[in-house]
Amino acid sequence: MNRLGGDTLRPLPRPGRWLLYAVLAAFAVFFLLPLVVVILNSFRTAQEIARTSVIGWPLGLAWQNYAEAWGGYCIAQRCEGIQPYMVNSFLLVIPATILSTALGAIAGYSISLWRFRGDTIVFAIVVMGVFLPEQMKLIPWALVLRELGLTNTIGALVLIHTVQGMSFTTLFCRNYYIGIPQDLLKAAKVDGAGYFRTFWRIILPLSPPILIVTVIWQFTGIWNEFLYGVTFTTGGQQPVTAALIAIATTPATDLVEYGIQSAAVLLAALPTLLVYFFGGRYFLRGLTAGAVK
Amino acid sequence: MKGRLGRYLPLLVIWLPLLINAGHVVGFTAWTTWLSFTPSDLLPEYDWAGLRSYRSVLRSENTEVAYINLLIYSVGFVGLTTLVGFVLAVLIDQRIRAENLLRTIYLYPLAVSFVVTGTAWGWLFNPGLGIQKFARSLGWSDFRFDWITDRDFALYTIVFAAVWHAAGFAMALFLAGLRSIDPDLAKAAQIDGAGPVRYYLRIAAPGLAPIAISVLVILLQFAIKTFDLVRAMTGGGPGIATTLPALVVYDFMFQRGQLGRGSAAAVLLLLSLLLVLLPYYAYAQWRARKERAANE
Amino acid sequence: MLVRRRDLLAGAAAAAALPQSLSAQTKPRVTFISQWSSGSDGAAISGLGKRLEEEGGIWQHSPVPGFTTEMMNKLRADIIAGNPPAASQLKGPEIAVWSKIAPTVNLDPLVSAAGYEKLIPTELIGLHKPQGHWIALPMQVYRTTTLFMSRPAMKKVGADKAPKTWAEFNALATEMKKAGITPVANGGIRWDDGMKLEIALSGINCEAYRGALMKLDPKALKSAEMLQAFVQLRKFADWMDPAIAAQHYSVNLPKFLKGEMGMLMMGGWAQGVIKNLGGNLDDVLITSVPQDEGKPVFVLNADSMIFWARKEPDLAAGQQLLAKLMMQKDVQEKYSQTTGSIPVRTDVDLSGPAWTDGQREASAVLNDSFKSKRVLLSLAHNMAQTNPITAAMIDVLTEYVHNDKVTPEQGVARLAAAVDNARG
Repeated sequence: MNRLGGDTLRPLPRPGRWLLYAVLAAFAVFFLLPLVVVILNSFRTAQEIARTSVIGWPLGLAWQNYAEAWGGYCIAQRCEGIQPYMVNSFLLVIPATILSTALGAIAGYSISLWRFRGDTIVFAIVVMGVFLPEQMKLIPWALVLRELGLTNTIGALVLIHTVQGMSFTTLFCRNYYIGIPQDLLKAAKVDGAGYFRTFWRIILPLSPPILIVTVIWQFTGIWNEFLYGVTFTTGGQQPVTAALIAIATTPATDLVEYGIQSAAVLLAALPTLLVYFFGGRYFLRGLTAGAVK
Repeated sequence: MKGRLGRYLPLLVIWLPLLINAGHVVGFTAWTTWLSFTPSDLLPEYDWAGLRSYRSVLRSENTEVAYINLLIYSVGFVGLTTLVGFVLAVLIDQRIRAENLLRTIYLYPLAVSFVVTGTAWGWLFNPGLGIQKFARSLGWSDFRFDWITDRDFALYTIVFAAVWHAAGFAMALFLAGLRSIDPDLAKAAQIDGAGPVRYYLRIAAPGLAPIAISVLVILLQFAIKTFDLVRAMTGGGPGIATTLPALVVYDFMFQRGQLGRGSAAAVLLLLSLLLVLLPYYAYAQWRARKERAANE
Repeated sequence: MLVRRRDLLAGAAAAAALPQSLSAQTKPRVTFISQWSSGSDGAAISGLGKRLEEEGGIWQHSPVPGFTTEMMNKLRADIIAGNPPAASQLKGPEIAVWSKIAPTVNLDPLVSAAGYEKLIPTELIGLHKPQGHWIALPMQVYRTTTLFMSRPAMKKVGADKAPKTWAEFNALATEMKKAGITPVANGGIRWDDGMKLEIALSGINCEAYRGALMKLDPKALKSAEMLQAFVQLRKFADWMDPAIAAQHYSVNLPKFLKGEMGMLMMGGWAQGVIKNLGGNLDDVLITSVPQDEGKPVFVLNADSMIFWARKEPDLAAGQQLLAKLMMQKDVQEKYSQTTGSIPVRTDVDLSGPAWTDGQREASAVLNDSFKSKRVLLSLAHNMAQTNPITAAMIDVLTEYVHNDKVTPEQGVARLAAAVDNARG
């Protein structure tokens, strides 16, 4: 990686260095504040939180919050915690991510490297899809799902997110593939490789940076989506975001269980957080390699 | 047989998914636009009602508040995020010791859903539960931080939470840009005796212009579509003080069951998006042409 | 792919009749959608489900997380898919609106068999028979114009009874403010702001309310009484706690019970909320809001369930069973005792220990108002108008409450304009 200013520019003098780290640390505190608060709260009981504020050190380690949140908390009249909803989310996100990424890669490859009639228009339309607001697509999807007989299933959500996800993934992949040197492709053609062989032998091995970006982006986006999840599934098939909404809109008439809610929120956010913790550097690399132009 | 298949299969593979996606974009947009000219209420109707829905939407109290809010919110959110992102990228570029750790800390908010972001920041901003209560419990009994309940300030809490979410993304893009600047340029600057400040402001920043523009556009269209965050943090309140155009669309379509008006509001939203995107598209074309000219 | 309104209307015109018999194996089954997933509403609807199961039915309730809008979205998506639930939550004029988009069940045979129509307030009947026959049933009744007074706060200012007119109310509030008590304990969310207007107006003049908020008569909307109501509304806004003003009223309850806040104007359901928070109802005086005309007025809010036509015999039988149960005295008693509402039937005896004074008082006022034709439908709770009109009006009202630069004259004008715009 090109480390700019590494050997060339002089490093800042000592006091400058301290200021630099101080500013970085201050920003780190700002960014970490909500996460730390939620983590700490997940270990406190609801009474503690009601007495002080949401900012506070736990008196003990209320692990039972996690047990409750996972397996026993009553959400929308089902007392099974968020575990079944987490399962639903995985069943939804994994196929949808894989499909939308694969289709986006192929589409991006086609548009960037195999010129065909109408490709600019089609690409413009696909990219437009990135910017469409989701509210206006709710009813059209309801009608489409009715025709396909897919209402109230996870499959419905997989379909929706795959079709819509293609807009993003195609955009990313196309911008990336456009940077592939023409000589490689010419050499392949000379060797007699057709559409599929070129993809398999040449493009795919070069793709990991952009595929990682796409997978991370899609996984996060689909996991965190809530509008379609709440409308097109019901009861036990809903993804975990629907469960979070149910928790968040519980009427404030009893002692609000902020501790268990925090634990639930953390568990639900864990998959995407882990994806970013482990994939963050690849995400950055992929972006550097030209995902966004 | 294989020859025929070999020739048509790629076409199928190329066209089918693209057609489905493009079809859904065109189809849904066209359908929504059509509906905006109908008197639809709970369910779609297909008679012609002219501009009635548009007139009604434009005269609604919540539309007016929403677009004013959008202006304030966009400027605040896009401006602050870009600034913070740029600053963070420059700072991280300084051969920091804990670069990986810091970069992860700045990036992770992107992983968090808006529902969680809105809920967590909603707790922190809640005067009876969060920062105000905490400060007061430390003895600072006059401390006030109740923006979220104040009709004039609540919008800024949304800006705050949104900047928290997106600044890492801006940073990532700027950092990627900084790291792809030609190292010879840096060496030349060094030879000329330029200090770090001069380097970043005079040399790196202009080179980052294309990335900065991408960042602005992405953030802007993101601001225009903001929905989940507001719903989770304030529900559009106090009153309608934090409502935004995407919420107005949802409100008309689903809370009020007036699909015609909701579709009109959606078309207006799309038009404001186009207002941002078309100039960008023209700019991108212009730049591509310039690059091609430069390469010849 | 287009959902043709004509097709749906054809189905609605031939509203399904109930089946005659049921084979011994198929148990009656009900699929139900509502937003009542927790709290006392959740408990009440679960109680109803359990009762259904005791009577041999199968209860399948899918509460939709979120607010009423999410529930209605789900309902609409299911209707579009051709798979509506057997019954769902729906109330007020929305029953008429939604009944036009999907076929419903004709409940007339069951209703006349139970002699039900004579037993419930007349204002409710029309809402549930939009096309001339019963398609929905009310579940419980609330009064929105209840005044809760904190006894500790009253003691502090030396007040021994509730104010009977708005002038007395305003005087008492000023006293409380001087004593350091926040006079109005209401919250600041949308329907709360809307309620404050309907409370003010119904207390000023019953017929002005009926004309303006129920009939949307332009003259009534710009009348002197309306202006007076807006002036009173501004006073309410000034007397609320600015720091907590934009939240749910329950946030204020701890202070209210201690006497740091004086008066809460809320629906009867607040009683259940106070109890749930561990509050002692002896600390609270529950009565009617001030009535300048000196005669009682009852502003009504009711939850209802609508029955959607289904061909399956087990669902149809389930609907029959649910409807029968919902009209029964013991079922309504249990429901209302759980939530703190008043039963729909007017022949229920509320003198037992399971009922609170608040419920008794509300029921007595309902009977009185009914006799003197002073029962009104709540605007803020979607009983007087359909959702679009209500929402447009509440936009104006909530903006008025939270923005003190809007004068009462401007508020009246904006409200009238919003009504025109929403109807056009």
